[in-house]
Amino acid sequence: MRVLVIEDEKKTASFIRKALQAEGYAVDVCHDGDEGFVAPSATPYDAIVLDIMLPGRDGLSILRRWRQGHNRIPVLLLSARGDVIERVEGLDAGADDYLPKPFALVELAARVRALTRRGGDTKATVLRLADLSLDTITRRVRRGESDIELTAREYRLLEYLMQSTGRLCGRMMILEKVWDYDFDPGTNLVDVYIRRLRGKIDTAFEPKLLHTVRGIGYVLKQPPA
Amino acid sequence: MTLWYSGVLLLSTLVIGILCFDELSERRERSVKANKGMEEILVIVLWIGLPAVVLSIGGGWWLMRKALAPVATLTEAMRGVSDRNLNQELPRTHNGDELDQLTEVLNAMTARLNASFTRIKDFTLHASHELKTPLTVLCGETETELRDESLNPSDRERIASRLDELRRMALIVNGLTLLAKADAGLITLTLAPVRLDELVRDSFGDIQILAEASALSVTLLNCDRTTVKADAHRLRQLLLNLADNAVKYNQPGGTIQIGLASADPAAELTISNTGPGIAANLLPRIFERFFRGDPAHNGSVEGCGLGLSIAQWIVAAHKGSISIKSVPNQLTTVTVRLPVLESQPA
Repeated sequence: MRVLVIEDEKKTASFIRKALQAEGYAVDVCHDGDEGFVAPSATPYDAIVLDIMLPGRDGLSILRRWRQGHNRIPVLLLSARGDVIERVEGLDAGADDYLPKPFALVELAARVRALTRRGGDTKATVLRLADLSLDTITRRVRRGESDIELTAREYRLLEYLMQSTGRLCGRMMILEKVWDYDFDPGTNLVDVYIRRLRGKIDTAFEPKLLHTVRGIGYVLKQPPA
Repeated sequence: MTLWYSGVLLLSTLVIGILCFDELSERRERSVKANKGMEEILVIVLWIGLPAVVLSIGGGWWLMRKALAPVATLTEAMRGVSDRNLNQELPRTHNGDELDQLTEVLNAMTARLNASFTRIKDFTLHASHELKTPLTVLCGETETELRDESLNPSDRERIASRLDELRRMALIVNGLTLLAKADAGLITLTLAPVRLDELVRDSFGDIQILAEASALSVTLLNCDRTTVKADAHRLRQLLLNLADNAVKYNQPGGTIQIGLASADPAAELTISNTGPGIAANLLPRIFERFFRGDPAHNGSVEGCGLGLSIAQWIVAAHKGSISIKSVPNQLTTVTVRLPVLESQPA
């Protein structure tokens, strides 16, 4: 999988590249709009991370020109303005997702991941990890031999984490997927729910599956044997 | 203009005076002949004096009113001037009289005020925007550092706590950007019919969970079925914002009560909580940006200090109103009124 990052701020471009490389992507970086605009015609990319404010052509007009030319590569827009109008404008211009600055890298990685696996998603109705299972149709959750009672919100949280098994999930992405929030409320809501969920699916069981990565987010995974 | 009015007044007084003098001397001559002096004088006073008095009072009142009307209009127009409409000029007559000059001076003053306000707003908007690039770099680099698996636990904790503070800073900058944009009128809400009672029930669940850690009891008093025309995301933000305050500024073992009462034309949402509360003299300033109502919390407060300012903006953007009442160490109640589309008591 190859991703193009078009971002003029060199430091920002550099840690985006590192983060995506750590996820296993091959990453190319362009620092200005004109260069970035022509790059996809030379190399096929699986996704593009595009900053809006760029020297040369700006991100939105690049995106519009691509879409007019029937270039359908998934695009994640980055912006320092980050208001609702710009989000709508960006999505109208043909962006697949939008991320306001400053962002957490774990959020950026999750979004690029979502873009690159679009269409290839597994449609399993029962999600499993170790002896934990979640049936998306009956909404039944089991760990080992015990049934686990979850509230609607806890269920959605677990479902999202199980869909992202093995991958780090940031707080913002969780708030967006589970709570449908488009803002960071600045509360410890997610942490509190994770603690409750952990109490129900992990505390009385071994091995522990729900892990906190301090400062970054949460991950549901089987510990290495 | 003043000259015109005084001219008219002087002229009419003269006319009345001359007429009266004329009448009076004529009658007097006749009455002297008929030797009925006192009676005649009485008649003269009754027939001429009284109407003259009534006429001059009425005319004077009319003239004064006419003369002062532009002052009243100007006063009313000035009363309407606030930080929200400084760009609007007061209407001028352009006839060059004293009032027109005064209006011109007032317009010039509001224009200067407007320029300073705009400069401050622009500054906030640009400052918060400019801060975002270095913040993005700092957050990104710190997070990259944290991903290094060879870190020892104490370094990891140090870097993670630095990242926490950076995120808090990002939250403040984002809040400032939001408010600066709202000030500049750059935010358009996506309005659609929204079931407010469902949002309240939804948040009620979250509040219960948030309150659990401090052993608070949360009650939903009533929740009438209510539809409002609103931006659902902003209402969620409002509810969580107020709920978070009710939890944060509570006391161990305290209570939170939530109610949604629907009536035409406005739905009333109340969130009350026990806790230290806000002193009466600080209450009017509670919606100010970065204002902390409770000095006792100053050191340990999480969040960005913009929560209530943002709440106030959200409510105002929905043409509603928000108010706070507080009895220190007893109950603090936030009341939000929002115009409803439809309602029916549950």
